[in-house]
Parts: sequence; C-alpha cells; structure tokens
Amino acid sequence: MSVGEAVTAAEKLRRSRAGSRRLHKAAPTIFLAPAILLLMVFLLYPLLSSFRLSLLDWNGLGDGARFIGLQNWVRLAHDTVFWNSAWNNILLAFFSVVVQLPIAVVLAVVLDEASKGSRLLKILYFLPLLMSSVALGVLFKNVYDPNFGPINGILGAMGLYSWTQDWLGDPNFALGSVIAVVCWQNIPFYMVLFLAALSSFPREITEAARLDGATGRTIFWRLKLPHLQGTFRTAVLLAVIGSMRYFDLIYVMTGGGPENASEVMATYMYRTVFNSFELGYGSTVASAMFLIIMVIAAVSLRISKRFETEV
Amino acid sequence: MQSRDTAKRAKLLCSALVAGLLPLAGNAQDTKEITSWDLQTQDRTVANIRAGMDRFEAANPGYKVVDSHFANDAYKTKLKIAFGANQPPCVFASWGGGPLREYIRAGEVVDLSPYLDANPAVKGYFMPASYTPVTFEGDIYGLPARGTSIGVILYNKEIFEKLGLTPPATWGELMNVSKVLNENGIAPFALANKSKWPGSMFYVYLVDRIGGPEVFLAAADRQPGGSFEDPAFIQAGEMLQDLVKADGFARGFNGLDYDIGGSRRLLYSGRAAMELMGNWEIGTIANENPEFLGKLGFFPFPAVEGGKGDPANVVGTLGDNYISISTQCPYPDAAFDLLVKLTDQTSTEEQLLDNIVSPVLGIEVGDPTLQGVIDLVGKAPSVQLWYDQELPPTLAEVHKDTTQQLFGLSITPEEAAATMEAAAKAEAN
Repeated sequence: MSVGEAVTAAEKLRRSRAGSRRLHKAAPTIFLAPAILLLMVFLLYPLLSSFRLSLLDWNGLGDGARFIGLQNWVRLAHDTVFWNSAWNNILLAFFSVVVQLPIAVVLAVVLDEASKGSRLLKILYFLPLLMSSVALGVLFKNVYDPNFGPINGILGAMGLYSWTQDWLGDPNFALGSVIAVVCWQNIPFYMVLFLAALSSFPREITEAARLDGATGRTIFWRLKLPHLQGTFRTAVLLAVIGSMRYFDLIYVMTGGGPENASEVMATYMYRTVFNSFELGYGSTVASAMFLIIMVIAAVSLRISKRFETEV
Repeated sequence: MQSRDTAKRAKLLCSALVAGLLPLAGNAQDTKEITSWDLQTQDRTVANIRAGMDRFEAANPGYKVVDSHFANDAYKTKLKIAFGANQPPCVFASWGGGPLREYIRAGEVVDLSPYLDANPAVKGYFMPASYTPVTFEGDIYGLPARGTSIGVILYNKEIFEKLGLTPPATWGELMNVSKVLNENGIAPFALANKSKWPGSMFYVYLVDRIGGPEVFLAAADRQPGGSFEDPAFIQAGEMLQDLVKADGFARGFNGLDYDIGGSRRLLYSGRAAMELMGNWEIGTIANENPEFLGKLGFFPFPAVEGGKGDPANVVGTLGDNYISISTQCPYPDAAFDLLVKLTDQTSTEEQLLDNIVSPVLGIEVGDPTLQGVIDLVGKAPSVQLWYDQELPPTLAEVHKDTTQQLFGLSITPEEAAATMEAAAKAEAN
C-alpha cells in the first residue's frame, strides 16, 4: 500500500464517519416524521381550522359563510349556558376523582390480595366498561324512570315514597344522577390501572413487613398506597381530562337537559352545531373547550408534580 | 382512470365513515345506486317503503336503492353531517319548513317544479295545501311521503267511561277533567319532553287557539306589529303553567324520552289518561300494543274561552314527511321516479293499512279513527306547521328551550316571550 493510497483510505473513513454522524443527527427527524405528519393532519389542522371557523357566522352548508371577527367569542364570554356547562364539567371532574379513584383503589387492593379466587370477580367488575355507553344510557334511563324504574319502585315499596325523585327530569337531580352512572361505568378502568401497578409490587416487601409485625392496614397505608402514587397521579389526570370533554352518557340520558341542568361543554357544542345549525358559534365553543382543557390539564400536571415524592 | 377509481373509492370510504352505511364491497360500476334515508323504524312501515323501492327497481333495471332508516332525533343529526360533509343521500326525508329551507338556500335540494310540470298527474294527486311546507319562493322541493299528521289528544276511553268523563271541548273543561283524574290517582297527561318538541305542541296549540295563526305568522315573518311578546304568546305560557301547577302531567315529564316510549308506557299502564301527540302515534300503538288500541280514542285540542283562533284549526302537517332529492345525486331523473313510486296509489293504499293517511285528494278511509283525523283536517281553516319545523333552526332551538323551561316553571311566560323575541330580532339581522 502506497502512502497515497493510505491517505485516501483514511479520507474515506473520515468521510463516511461524517456521513454517519449526519445520519445520526437526522435519524430522530426521520423516525418522528410519520407521527408528526399524522398529528399535523389529524390534530393540528382540524384544531386550527376550528379556530378559523370560530370567526365565521356560518350554518355549515354551502358558501354563505360570513367573517365576523371575534363576535362569537364576545358572545361566548356572555353566554351563561356555556359557563354553566363548564361548571358542570368541573363538578363532573371533581366527583369522578373523589368517587371513582378511592373505590377503584380499594377494589384493586382487595382483588389483588385475593389473587387466585378473584378471577371471576375481576371479569364481573370489568363488565360495565365493556358495555356501549348508548346501551348503558338507555338501560339507566329505564332504571331512573320515575314511574316504572326500579329505584323509585324499591323506595316506594320500602315506604320511603318521599325519597322517590324525578331523577332525570328534575334540574336539581339530573346532573347527579348522570354523574353516578358515569362513575359506575369508569371505576373498572381505574381498577385495572391500579391492579397493573400492584402486580409490580414485590411480594417480599409484604412478607418482610409481616415479619416485622406490620398489620394489613399498615401495609396498605404505608407500603401499597405510596407504591401506587405514580399511577394515582396518572389516574387523576385522566379522570380530569376525560370529565372535561365528557359527552356520551350525558347526551344519551338527558341530552344536557332539562333546562340545561346537566349540560356540559361538549353537549352544548353539539347542540349549537347540529340543532341550531350554528357551525361558527359551535366551533367557538369547541375552541374554548380546547383552551380550558389545556389550562386545566397543565395546572393538574403542575400540581401533581408537586406531590411527587421519593418512595 | 386509476386515479379516478381511487377518488371514487376514497369518496365511498368517506361516506361510509360519515354515515356508516354505504357497503364498501358494492361495485358501483354496473349498478347505479340511489341512497335513500328516512326516519321510519317500525317494521311494517319500513317494509312498505321497501316495497315501493322494489317496484322502482323492477321498473328501472340497473338501478339499486340503498335504503337506511334512522330514529327520529338521530336522523336530524345524520342528515346535517352528511350534507355538511358533502356526502348527502340521494333521496331524503324531512318535514319541510325551516330546516329544509336552510338546505334549499345552500343549493343542496333539487327543485321539483320542472318534473311536476311535466307530470301533472303526479302533481294533481296531492292536496294543493300539502305542498306549503316544501314550497320556497314559488318552487316545490318535495313530495308528501307519509301521512297527514296533526296534533290530537289521545285518551284512554276506558278510564273516561269509568269516571264518567267526556272529552273536553274547552280549556276550562280540560282543567276540570284533569282535576277529576288527579282525584282518582290518575295523571291527566303523559308527556315525554326530554327532546322538547312534544311539549312544544301544547304551546303551539294554545297560541293558535288564543290569537289565531296570524299572530305566529306576523311574529315569525317579522311583519310590522308582529312580535313574540304578543299577549297571545304570554297567555299561552300562563295557561301552560296553570296546567303544570294543577299536576296536569305525569311525573318526570321533562326527563322522559319519547323515542324509547317514555310517554306511551304511562298510557298503556293506565297511569295517565291522555297524551297530546301527532296522530302517527295511533299507528305506533297499533304496531306496539294492539290490545291497547281498543281503548284508544282521540279528540281535538279544546277551544280557549274568549280566544280569537278558530277551534277547528289544527297544528301539524298534511304531509308529515316530505321526500326530496339532493343536488349531489348523480341520477336525479331516476330519483324523481323513485319519489313517485314511493308516493303513488299503491304506496298510498299500503300506507293506509299502516294507519298512515297520505294527503291525497278524495281519499277513502275505512278505519273510523283515521276517518276522524281526515275529517278534522278537512274542516280545518288553517293548518299550522309545528314551530320547531317552521322556524329557522336557531330560533326553533330557542323556542324548544324556553318551552321546556316554561314546563319546568323556571321562567315566567314574560321572560320566555322576551327571550324568543330577542332571538328573533337577532336572527332577522
């Protein structure tokens, strides 16, 4: 090998190294490109166009759209129905967290401890989540029926007639009645989440704790619950975001009524677009919903980080 | 060619996604598909419609009708999405009035006038007044596909007989009947007002009886002096609330769902004695609970003492559903032929057996109940279309919301009227 040849070989090596380095730099972009493209098409573009639509006065048909600037947003700011429905979302989020998560944790811990004999129970408890919301909604419309439903029937048979209520038709009860069903349907989801987290809880720790004389209660409060805290944070976040954009059971059971008593932002948006034919204003509601959910998600993320502690 | 095929397939896929009903496997090349949507879900009614479509297919080889049938409230949404996504069905049912006018203004509906002028036999088959809800600026955009539907008070004859009651002719008598029923532990009216249009019927009838049809027309058309704050609207709200306060409605009325039979159950079980509903419910009951049909009677909405409206007026529509053709339909001529088949004499006769009376000139009805409905319509000086179908959609929604609030006693009639008037003013601008 002559000196010249050696030089060119070294040069080649250097070049190819530079090339691979460049490739290295480009790799993330290449790998992320499909995902980013999909996100742009299916998330960013619709999001931006819904903001654009919120500046129009349009019924969604033909080309009668009229640009009206921020008028829809001004109207939204003064729309008591919208703010009332946003408040209902917050109530739904609060009760989802307060009702669903504790019950889900308890169920998960109990089922986890009874690990072998609980397979059937696990399936049973999981069932509500497998049912379609529409079917559930119709089912519970019948359960809540003030004249023929089993709830009022049982209360009446027990001589508690004064406790019977017009569950879905009375503005004071409609939201609560629906929230109860929403919670019932979603508890299994969080139960599974916690069950998964508990399966990674090392058995030796429980055994060691027992040898040290720890009671079942101590093991639950001091060992298992701290172990679950990461999952708990995720669950809270999911429950809050899910509640803020909730739609299906409320739509099926009450349609947001009566008199907007159980209206949430999503059902209100649906009504403005599909019943009133106001696509522009409906998009304003949708965009506002997006902004509100973003803020709330960011805040709950921040708060949950604060509670993050070393286990 | 390739790209056109792809485009076609993409279009198919889109509409399947949007509507969830176009069969993907269908090869569109050799058979020409005409999609048709309506809101009939009773087996017998759907079978009659399908029979008309089969006759169309037999008369027009190469065409295939793909029919879809939806539940009432879901249908309104489906149609809106399909039009908004530019994938409307070829043939679709509506009630005419405000919502159809939105589609007509957007250029989505085929003007049938040229077809009807070319086929005078078709045009002359129906009562002239039945075209009113589908007439826009002098042109006709639909054919009456179902029956005459007017609001009547259905009642349980057995209960009335047992308590010695007779159908009330005036509002005062109605309040008395309600009182007697309540004293005997029976709710006067069954009402399923979750979707708000059933309760609206009371309000529409009261306004018509108190002020006559002119009051609504003046307010809706924004004629000088016309206003939704007219005393007639306020008095209607007051009387409606009087009935609510007198326990006129079975428990839960603002939350019960009409589409799952929330109100009919109350009638069947004898817990409620009356229901104000379109006469289509007689057909529904015949399909759903034939035993109860024997106990069922009906009477017209009572007169209001001192009211200006003629008590013979009815609220409803002569055509109930109208079928129209969308401008995006590739075969409008064939679609018109389908419309004719669905409304011709054979269809009319089949529908009659299903308790549906088409607004056809000189129709002979065997059934006495149906004959009663036809007699009411024949004598009516005016037929007021349901407000929620007559008004533009935005206003219709406000009307339904305020009426439900009136029923819930959460606003005063004056507040309801003011809200409605403000919305009408905003809509006119």
